[in-house]
Amino acid sequence: MGTAMIPYPGNVPVWVNKSNCKACDICVSVCPSGVLGMRYDSTSTLGAMISIDHPEACIGCNECELTCPDFAIYVADKSQFKFAKLTDEAKERQAKIVANNYMSLDQQGVK
Amino acid sequence: MAFNYDKYLRLEKMPTLWCWGCGDGVILKAFVRAIDKMGISRDDVCVVSGIGCSGRFSSYVDFNTVHTTHGRTVAFATGIKLVNPDKYVVCVAGDGDALAIGGNHTIHGARRNIDITLIIINNFIYGLTNSQTSPTTPQGMWTVSQKSGNIDPTFDACALGIASGASFVARESMLDPKKLEKIFVKALEHRGFSYLDILSNCHVNFGRKNKMASAMENLKWIESITMPKKKWDELPEEEKMNIFPTGVLKEDKNAKEYCDLYQEVIAYHQGKRKAITQNDFEKKI
Repeated sequence: MGTAMIPYPGNVPVWVNKSNCKACDICVSVCPSGVLGMRYDSTSTLGAMISIDHPEACIGCNECELTCPDFAIYVADKSQFKFAKLTDEAKERQAKIVANNYMSLDQQGVK
Repeated sequence: MAFNYDKYLRLEKMPTLWCWGCGDGVILKAFVRAIDKMGISRDDVCVVSGIGCSGRFSSYVDFNTVHTTHGRTVAFATGIKLVNPDKYVVCVAGDGDALAIGGNHTIHGARRNIDITLIIINNFIYGLTNSQTSPTTPQGMWTVSQKSGNIDPTFDACALGIASGASFVARESMLDPKKLEKIFVKALEHRGFSYLDILSNCHVNFGRKNKMASAMENLKWIESITMPKKKWDELPEEEKMNIFPTGVLKEDKNAKEYCDLYQEVIAYHQGKRKAITQNDFEKKI
């Protein structure tokens, strides 16, 4: 086995180690600006996998990394990436994603 | 570069065997960050865990680890601490491990005020064995061993810690990992028995049978039953009984630590002092 941390791929605010992700929705629910969402994936145990839909909206709050129980998601340092400011549009998108059962907005139905 | 956890983990054991969204992973992460923040060497930490989902904690961290028998974490840790008084000894136990089968050890570890950090991962159920009633299961919740609903009164773990004499007692939930990290740093720095009641989720074996089947629903329930200590103090009495206060509930820096007292016993046997008498202690009874 062995799933070491994936080194910084460059020019992204958030990156994911998909072999560790168990699709528990926690990171999607704690994100304040609607960056993350779940997407259907037939190869995943729970039938969904995390995806980073709006990297440009990430404010670098680190909440998703801290609350991920499986060491699967990482956030860049402030020196590596210029993070955005929290906007009303981002907040609205986050509310819609939560209402959509933590699925990305183009994905319909429940997990 | 983001924080690199790999240095503190046994990567050959990853990914963890815990269910998706299990709070144990968040607690593990916060613990690793706390150790890193304090700059402690991995060789100076010993993690002792018992049986249960929380027992796996010691398998994933690359410190000195002992996976002990059910409920005996504090007993083993007492021995480890007495021969290594300069090391950090951390017990990780579940609510069943620390409060049911190991309740006796927990009480007497706290009474001796030995410098151990006891992390109780309290998920309100026996999760590993498929949801039997645990000492902390709230009254009225459905469990497989009480299918009519649990009638056993709910256990307040921190009240036990305070009453049995632990010198640092705190409660936190896994909802706020930043606070969790701070409380771990405080507990590790504290010299004396640190008793931490960390509320965690078990949506698979507790939530699913009590109408909160996803991790987030279970976490929202935990959020609804916790409140910071300062706010909690202002609540009227009748509301207090349904809410757990979080934060540091007791901190006594003057309490004598057991390893220090034990040095007196060693000194007596080396002929360096006379026998210990009641005059050595302020508190006589």
